[in-house]
Amino acid sequence: MWSSPYPAPRAGALRRSVRALLVLAVTAGLATGVPAAGGAGAATPAPASTDGSTAATPYMGWSSWSMQSSQYPGLNPNGSYSYLTEANVLKQTDALASKLKQYGYTYVNIDAGWWMDQAWTPGYDQYGRQRPDPVRFPHGMKPVADHIHAKGLKAGIYLPVGLEKGAYGDGKVPILGAPGCTTADAVYPDLRTTNGWDSAYKLDFDNPCAQGYIDSQAQALAGWGYDFLKLDGVGPGSGKSGSNYDNVADVAAWQRAIAATGRPLHLEVSWSLDIGHAADWRRYSDGWRIDTDVECYCNTLVTWENSVNDRWNDAPAWSGKAGPGGWNDLDAVDVGNGAMDGLTKAERQSYMTLWAIEKSPLFTGDDLTALDDYGVSLLTDREVIAVDQNTSPVARPVTPVGDQQVWATRNADGSSTVALFNLAGAPASVTADWAALGFTGGASVRDLWNKQDLGTYKDRITEALPAHGSRLFTVKPAGRPLATTGYEAESAANTLGGNASTAACDACSGGAKVGNLYGGGTLRFNNVTVKKAGIYTVKVRYVSGDPRAVTVSSNSGNGTSLPFPSTGDWSTPQDVSVQLALKAGANTITFDSGADGYAPDIDRIDVPQTL
Amino acid sequence: MDIHPSATPAERPSRRGFLALAAATGATAALGGLPAFTASAAPLRPTVSPLLPAADAARNQLWWQAPGAAGSMIGQGLPVGNGRLGALTGNDPAAELLVVTDATLWTGGLNDTLQDDGQFPYGRDDFGSLTLLAQLTVAVPDHDLGAVNNYRRVLDMAQGVVTTTYEIGGARYQRQIFASRPDDAVVLHFSQRGGGSYTGTVSLAGTHGETTTADGAARLASFGAALGNGLKYGAAVTATSSSGKVAVHGTTLSFTGCQDLTVVLSGGTDYAPDAAAGFRDPSVDPEALAGTKVRDAARHSATALLHTHVADFLAVFGQFDISLGQSSPAQRALDTWQRVQARYRDDVPDPELEAAYLQYGRYLMISGSRGSLPMGLQGVWLDGNDPDWMGDYHTDINIQMNYWMADRAGLSGGFDAFADYCLAQLPCWTDTTRRLFNSPANRYRNSSGKIAGWTVAISTNPYGGGGWWWHPAGNAWLCHNLFEHYEYTQDRDYLAKVYPLIKGAVEFWEARLITTTVTDASGAAREVLIADSDWSPEQGPLDAKGITYAQELVWNLFGHYRTATQALGRDTAHGAAVEALRDRLYLPVVSPTTGWLEEWMSPDNLGETTHRHLSPLFGLFPGDRIRPDDSTPKDILAGATALLTARGMNSFGWANAWRSLCWARLKDAEKAYRLVVTNLRPSADGSNGSAMNLFDIYQVDKGRGIFQIDANFGTPSAIVEMLVYSRPGHVELLPALPAAWAAAGSVSGVGVRGGFVADLAWRDGKVTQATLRSVGGRTTTLAAGGTSRRVDLKPGESVTLRHLS
Repeated sequence: MWSSPYPAPRAGALRRSVRALLVLAVTAGLATGVPAAGGAGAATPAPASTDGSTAATPYMGWSSWSMQSSQYPGLNPNGSYSYLTEANVLKQTDALASKLKQYGYTYVNIDAGWWMDQAWTPGYDQYGRQRPDPVRFPHGMKPVADHIHAKGLKAGIYLPVGLEKGAYGDGKVPILGAPGCTTADAVYPDLRTTNGWDSAYKLDFDNPCAQGYIDSQAQALAGWGYDFLKLDGVGPGSGKSGSNYDNVADVAAWQRAIAATGRPLHLEVSWSLDIGHAADWRRYSDGWRIDTDVECYCNTLVTWENSVNDRWNDAPAWSGKAGPGGWNDLDAVDVGNGAMDGLTKAERQSYMTLWAIEKSPLFTGDDLTALDDYGVSLLTDREVIAVDQNTSPVARPVTPVGDQQVWATRNADGSSTVALFNLAGAPASVTADWAALGFTGGASVRDLWNKQDLGTYKDRITEALPAHGSRLFTVKPAGRPLATTGYEAESAANTLGGNASTAACDACSGGAKVGNLYGGGTLRFNNVTVKKAGIYTVKVRYVSGDPRAVTVSSNSGNGTSLPFPSTGDWSTPQDVSVQLALKAGANTITFDSGADGYAPDIDRIDVPQTL
Repeated sequence: MDIHPSATPAERPSRRGFLALAAATGATAALGGLPAFTASAAPLRPTVSPLLPAADAARNQLWWQAPGAAGSMIGQGLPVGNGRLGALTGNDPAAELLVVTDATLWTGGLNDTLQDDGQFPYGRDDFGSLTLLAQLTVAVPDHDLGAVNNYRRVLDMAQGVVTTTYEIGGARYQRQIFASRPDDAVVLHFSQRGGGSYTGTVSLAGTHGETTTADGAARLASFGAALGNGLKYGAAVTATSSSGKVAVHGTTLSFTGCQDLTVVLSGGTDYAPDAAAGFRDPSVDPEALAGTKVRDAARHSATALLHTHVADFLAVFGQFDISLGQSSPAQRALDTWQRVQARYRDDVPDPELEAAYLQYGRYLMISGSRGSLPMGLQGVWLDGNDPDWMGDYHTDINIQMNYWMADRAGLSGGFDAFADYCLAQLPCWTDTTRRLFNSPANRYRNSSGKIAGWTVAISTNPYGGGGWWWHPAGNAWLCHNLFEHYEYTQDRDYLAKVYPLIKGAVEFWEARLITTTVTDASGAAREVLIADSDWSPEQGPLDAKGITYAQELVWNLFGHYRTATQALGRDTAHGAAVEALRDRLYLPVVSPTTGWLEEWMSPDNLGETTHRHLSPLFGLFPGDRIRPDDSTPKDILAGATALLTARGMNSFGWANAWRSLCWARLKDAEKAYRLVVTNLRPSADGSNGSAMNLFDIYQVDKGRGIFQIDANFGTPSAIVEMLVYSRPGHVELLPALPAAWAAAGSVSGVGVRGGFVADLAWRDGKVTQATLRSVGGRTTTLAAGGTSRRVDLKPGESVTLRHLS
């Protein structure tokens, strides 16, 4: 939803009080702001650089925001967000260097507020650029970066997108390095606002002064020696849509500005970015937050419900979007201290597991000086970190996404990384069927978290998972690939009911799918034939731009109704597998939207030829 | 049909072993035993292992691949019980949790200060409620579930043991939990192979604010207290290990580095089933007695305790066996919960699961009802002190349904708890009825002004008290069960024992019946006897006279009384007079409006079409008046069938069970089977169906389901009723065998009204062999496959028949 520095309205006294402060700050800015006519001029987009040189793998490190945003006792003694100080950053830097650096955690990221005083009033330099708060950072930002670098680490910093209202001045604030440009030239004459909090004026890139302003910001960051920038409040996303909140041009401008500094600077954009612009984020940035803040703004850093567990629902849509050069950012991984995190051990393991299989950046927001033993074990498990950093594709659910889920990805060596999740509030067993991974017979199983080879399992593995728990395995097939028989949804042999209809789909097998499965729409595959009665793992290839439930049944069965995860859009097919009993001979398999439901589009099913 | 009479009981391999064992070990197959929580004689301990070979045990095992959640014990905890003490076990490796109930731990009392409307208060302080005794936690913090592989927990229904196994690293851990009747204790035995160990704590806590204390020298923790009604209760736990260290820390027991650990828990109350003594035994100090019991038990090895328990339990369980056919390898590969879900998902019959569901009901009855109070709405398994409807005895179907199963499914001795309860309550029920029933405020009072005998309220407690509203026909409902038990056993001593209950109920109705004139279909007027103002449970008008429910029950009661007077040679003149009254009873007709057997003396449907209760169909089941044969007028049979059809196929668990029983009586095998399957559907988010632990869940509100045990007993009764129908003098085999079970199957130990026990096997829907053994019966017809034959036996004799059709 939103990220720092302007928490959007959620329940909670803290957030309300912070908002009040922000209103004051914004009002102050407006009081002095007089729109001025700006110069015009077409900005030429710089060629995109997507060579992945700055994000070959998901970055790892620490961020200040989780602790800043929490009401955990003692963290922010001088008011909300007061944790962010030079002393605290250096303390965390030292802890990162001594405890986690050897595992690959390298970035120390200063989040929102470095230019805000303790009352959250911003400060700007004479060029309208964010100025380090002299109380928080009495020596400025460069010595902090120097200290970080001295520890062999990289320094990260933060800015909101757009020209902050407080930086506008009277519109006559000169822009450094852009002769003749003032802040009024960089924005639209009508002072239309932008970003997730409407805290800035939207930059008008028809006027090169806008690029100039960003260049001046980039020069400052590079000059201080920073290696990473989180650009926040970016839209479409950050809870906003519409042209005023389309910041694609801002991100592109930042990419150009960074290139112009000559200093490699990782550019991460935030938050809840619009998946429809995934190609833009990939083109212009090195990573993008797919979701709202993970922080709870409560007495702990996070809570399971608010909002760690959202990620299981939201991540699948993005699975095809990440890769070297740009990654799906699931936000901070706050698993280092159970009491402060506000999570059970099981929840912490599941949290780390999802982030790893999704190849999210791994940056913790924990107090690195107070990690507990279990937290250290989670953050420093080299096998799990390798899952995050290796070359395998981002994992997807291979089952429908009820309370019990199996996610997997195929590794380069032919093995699969398989995660079992139990998102229910009670223990449950979860089974990974090898057929859902595309093979049958035996497979050796490595338990990553417990660092144990479990031996060979035939056809499946079942484990008991605690509430909100997980397991993470490497499964190496020793059997055979699964021989299946495919049945196309669009086949004339099938029976469509209700609104269901066939539609073209370039990426689908056979170039077509069956859609309009809503309001009682049904698709029935007739004559699904197997030689032997039994319970089969049937793979369903489907398309769904959002998570949608469908009831899948065989013959006279009641079936199961569970959501299929999003495939990201309405043209990309993905697979999940379901269990169904089939009798020897001909069977029917039916997909039913339910009277009030909306189901995914179905491309095809693949039925194992043998049990 | 061939007849092969034999002078000795037929050999039934599946049962012979159990019985021989019982004889060898001194264990008794009878269910009766401890009357309450009292000092007990030292158990006889088997000298050879009674444990079943693994392959034999597997037939009657349920299993799961995840532990239960502490917050969902009622649906996920596995039940154990010794007939009075019940516990739900969570089986989490890191925190074994037992929620323990004692059947007698009831708040409330006689509750004889009625409300202004002449009805009973129904609160937890006045009427009372069954409550929890204790919570036991054995914490083993290092055994976090997240680090555990190959977790499995198994409920061995035949041997009465919950076994949990799992692996951590190279060590394999096992814990067994059982509730022993001979040792009157719940035992937890922790063991391992491969270098594992246990370090943790044992914590015993009350649930009513008690303070637990610990005795360091005895390594024993206990508490004792009294409820507001004066009921004293207490519990104690001790722990022993042959390998590690066990010590007291504060109020908990700690154990360190133990390769084995045995934890023994006992507890109880000073309840006594004696109205004259105010339902208390002043000689019992529950806390001290619990301490004595756990110390005594803990002197024996865990193996000795296990063998003693299994010998006792298996002897009872083994009295009945069932196979409904073979399930597929794919079904067998699934754990019980997966199997329940697959059964619903795929609509493929799973005969082994369906048979196991029946055996689970038997397991619950053996565990929950031996020698103490009978089982109410939840048996002895609660997860809090505020069970819905107090966990009480509902006399308008629920407690009756619980005990339909006992005789049918080879647990004849399990019926004693029900009969003993009624007998112990009778003085209070009689006194309350005589003093309060005819209160002018009571809308159900006898308009005749006369009063005699006894009746009950819709709810009853163990202190002679009623709750909610008066339930005039409740006495006849209870007496139906009481008399049927005699029909099954032909035990005259038993009949003499319960005779005062039956006679008192008859006397109540003699005083209550009123006369009215009805016009028959032919137009002729006649005077009939009808019940005074009443409510057909639990719907429609509150003040209806001559409701079918009461008419059928009283007709049934009067007939049974007449039989009892003849069997006992007592009150024979009175019996004849009552028989004459019976002949004058109005019996329901078919509504010309609805085509249904009337529920009220009205052609109109005055209630809910699909109401859960089948009160007006009492004559179909459990009564025998309406039968699908020439003895019943066709219009009555058609009206009953139409009413049953209208009631629908989808209701609460117990209501489905009742429907299934009725369809079985009508020989509609597929409908009867469909309702059994409906009760097996997995409960989700409180919906009607079976929970993970197979407890039946009753949805009270969207998203809130509660455990109600009646379906767990009623559904097994329906399964038996589909296989064997009986009434005194007549047995029919496979009256309603569904296609799903037709291929091949067998059942043994089925109770037969008239004083027999039946074993039978079938193939392709036809009986291949049947054995009838007399437990007191002498003559019956035996029908199967369209043929019928008379069988004459002396008590103890049996006959085996082959080629029956």
